[in-house]
Amino acid sequence: MSDTAHNHLNAKLVLLGDMGTGKSSLVIRFVKGQFLEFQESTIGAAFFSQTVSVNSATVKFEIWDTAGQERYHSLAPMYYRGAAAAIIVYDITSSDSFAKAKKWVQELQKQGNPNMVMALAGNKCDLEDKRNVTAEEAHAYADENGLFFLETSAKTAVNVNDTFYEIAKKLPRAQPTQNPAGMLLVDRPADGSRAASCCG
Amino acid sequence: MPSDSNSPSSNYSSDEGNPNSDPNSESQPEPDPQLEPEPESEVEAEPNKNPHLIDQSLDALENQLASISMSSRSPTATIEGEEEEELEEDVESREQPKSINGSLSEEIGAGGDADYVEGRHFESDSKAESSGVNGEKNTSFMWLDAPEVDEVERPLSPGSSGYAGEMGSTSGGDEIVDDDEDDSNIRVVENDGVSGSNNQSVSGKRHADEDDASVSWRKRKKHFIILSHSGKPIYSRYGDEYKLAGFSATLQAIISFVENGGDRVNLVRAGKHQVVFLVKGPIYLVCISCTEEPYESLKGQLELLYGQMILILTKSVNRCFEKNPKFDMTSLLGGTDAVFSSLIHSLSWNPATFLHAYSCLPLAYATRQAAASILQDVAGSGVLFALLMCKHKVISLVSAQKASLHPDDILLLSNFIMSSESFRTSESFSPICLPRYNPMAFLYAYVHYFDTDTYVVLLTTSSDAFYHLKDCRIRIEIVLSNSNVLSEVQRSLVDGGMHIKDLLVEPTSRAGAFSSHLGQPRPGAGSPGRTADGSIGIGGPAGLWHFVYRSIYLDQYVSSEISLSLCRLYRAYQRLYASMHKKPIGPHKTQFRRDENYVLLCWVTQDFELYAAFDPLADKALAIKVCNRVCQWVKDVENEIFLLGASPFSW
Repeated sequence: MSDTAHNHLNAKLVLLGDMGTGKSSLVIRFVKGQFLEFQESTIGAAFFSQTVSVNSATVKFEIWDTAGQERYHSLAPMYYRGAAAAIIVYDITSSDSFAKAKKWVQELQKQGNPNMVMALAGNKCDLEDKRNVTAEEAHAYADENGLFFLETSAKTAVNVNDTFYEIAKKLPRAQPTQNPAGMLLVDRPADGSRAASCCG
Repeated sequence: MPSDSNSPSSNYSSDEGNPNSDPNSESQPEPDPQLEPEPESEVEAEPNKNPHLIDQSLDALENQLASISMSSRSPTATIEGEEEEELEEDVESREQPKSINGSLSEEIGAGGDADYVEGRHFESDSKAESSGVNGEKNTSFMWLDAPEVDEVERPLSPGSSGYAGEMGSTSGGDEIVDDDEDDSNIRVVENDGVSGSNNQSVSGKRHADEDDASVSWRKRKKHFIILSHSGKPIYSRYGDEYKLAGFSATLQAIISFVENGGDRVNLVRAGKHQVVFLVKGPIYLVCISCTEEPYESLKGQLELLYGQMILILTKSVNRCFEKNPKFDMTSLLGGTDAVFSSLIHSLSWNPATFLHAYSCLPLAYATRQAAASILQDVAGSGVLFALLMCKHKVISLVSAQKASLHPDDILLLSNFIMSSESFRTSESFSPICLPRYNPMAFLYAYVHYFDTDTYVVLLTTSSDAFYHLKDCRIRIEIVLSNSNVLSEVQRSLVDGGMHIKDLLVEPTSRAGAFSSHLGQPRPGAGSPGRTADGSIGIGGPAGLWHFVYRSIYLDQYVSSEISLSLCRLYRAYQRLYASMHKKPIGPHKTQFRRDENYVLLCWVTQDFELYAAFDPLADKALAIKVCNRVCQWVKDVENEIFLLGASPFSW
């Protein structure tokens, strides 16, 4: 959820996508301005926050950088539920990761917040010579599904900040009116044994 | 190599009555037990079971599955630890105590000296190179300068099939490689448990290009392989899992062949190799090792490996196999190679892996209390466990009512957190399962690093508690920085724990000395013990080199600082531990053994276990005296080295 107060907006944003597509690298580029050639796998989800100002308003992103590993898939709702925005990341050198991205889009359309701002990010666009997913194909898919699409590179910082700024600009219009609490991750029962198996 | 069978094990008869005696535990230990020469000692004669030794190398083993049935002697066919000791160690350290009143000391000391000359007995098929090894081993102080030198150079059995030799390697197993050695040679362990992480570069899979046909793979000293009951590889310490599919299918065939006979295979010996099997439902764990560690130790290591897997996935992963027996689990463990390799590495240096106890960072009592009270504060509010850790050591921990945290879970949890770089980047909220607490369910762990070494873990059952835990962490952080806990932690890291050189030769009054570090004056900058790394000069009184003290009711241990890798000494302790825990033991038990490398003294009471290593020429009576003083020292500083008053841990 996102909520406004004095032109200030808190927005929960989640990054989803296959492992190794560069979700953490995108976030770290955005939040810290850094890039690590060998970014270790994320465990569970890492939490970051970063504030941007757009059109005289400030948006504080509360970013959930989720792990792409399969074992965390069933736990993803815990992180995307209630999110105001999502960035679905794929790797332009891997068509598998693009297929995986499409699955995430479907899942969010089915289960996510209906007003969620969704961005599709084709990461690693610096690796043009290894490209396996064309920009046209991704663009067409994004248009069909109402996502906005950018090709990014965490390494060269191309389009990284733009993605987040673009989301920030779209947010106020997408802001849902209900549920002002805004901070609940999930409304699932805290029944560990049932809710939390790795492949349930 | 300690062996229970040949060692003197003595029962103390307590002078005092048995105030609390129940039918099973014989005598109450004295309130302040003193290690003294025993009134009587008895030898536990080990029945000489002659095992059906499958004396063949792995290749032969692969080809001759049928011969495995030889090993299935009884309902649970075990070719077990006792037997392997029988095989390996009939020469070493045979100390026959003469059960005469009052002198464990001199009698055994003499016996030990005699043994000192004889090298370790190797199995016959390695005779070609073993003379060279003995040459190495007779340089008794070698372990300090070149830890594990004997293991590195120990020849692999040429064996019937030429396990190592057949691949065209001329010098047989002379170049056995093992990462444990790689690391121990590079790493200077300053604070045994405390170091570890930063200079630890075990991340990700190494040698992924190898498979079971590679010479280098075959020369590895210790393999850990996890596979599914359908024979699909899940994890391998070395080599690419998919390339090892054939090998893993062979292991599966061995296991199921024996299982089809209504039996279970626990251990197969093949030349110098031991193959240890552990079956956990649909998941099979196998260790192939030529490190001469006892079967019990290797089995315990497989249990830890399994626990680590459960911590990541929970036991409900079994359901995937119910749905689809051919389920491929590899992908579920994606990105966790570093977790497993770091755990496997800690099996060669972290005493917690076999002691089943955790260790605390030495801190002033008031400092630890300050940390404990804020943790206690947040634990009331839906937090199940709150841990403040510095590397592998506990600063303080608190659990909600009725919940208790097992030391093994602490080990696996801290290993998981420290080996995953991702936790250092920011705050994390991750599902984690504590296998000893509830193997079926995930808990949610909030992890945050305060500095490069110190981190807090808050565990809860509620998956939506992130923001609450974040608030808790902020409160904790404020208290910790206001009360200087974090700077005290850093100081403790620098000072280290108990240095044996600080053990006073004569117990003097320590009253009033508690402003100093652990009852001893803080070491000055040019303190001699610190600079004399690698030399015998670092020893304490009476040739004491090192000790480990495990408090049984606290589930904690403390070990003295050691300047170089304790890898080899570590294995000796491990064997000692295995031999002392093989059977139900009486209220008191001691073991004193002397070989060419060191004198080892072990003393087990109902309250504590003490393992001490001395110079091989150490005087026995003096050594015993020093051990008493170590115990006194530990008692004197116990509120600085242990987490006290943490009653939830008695179970």
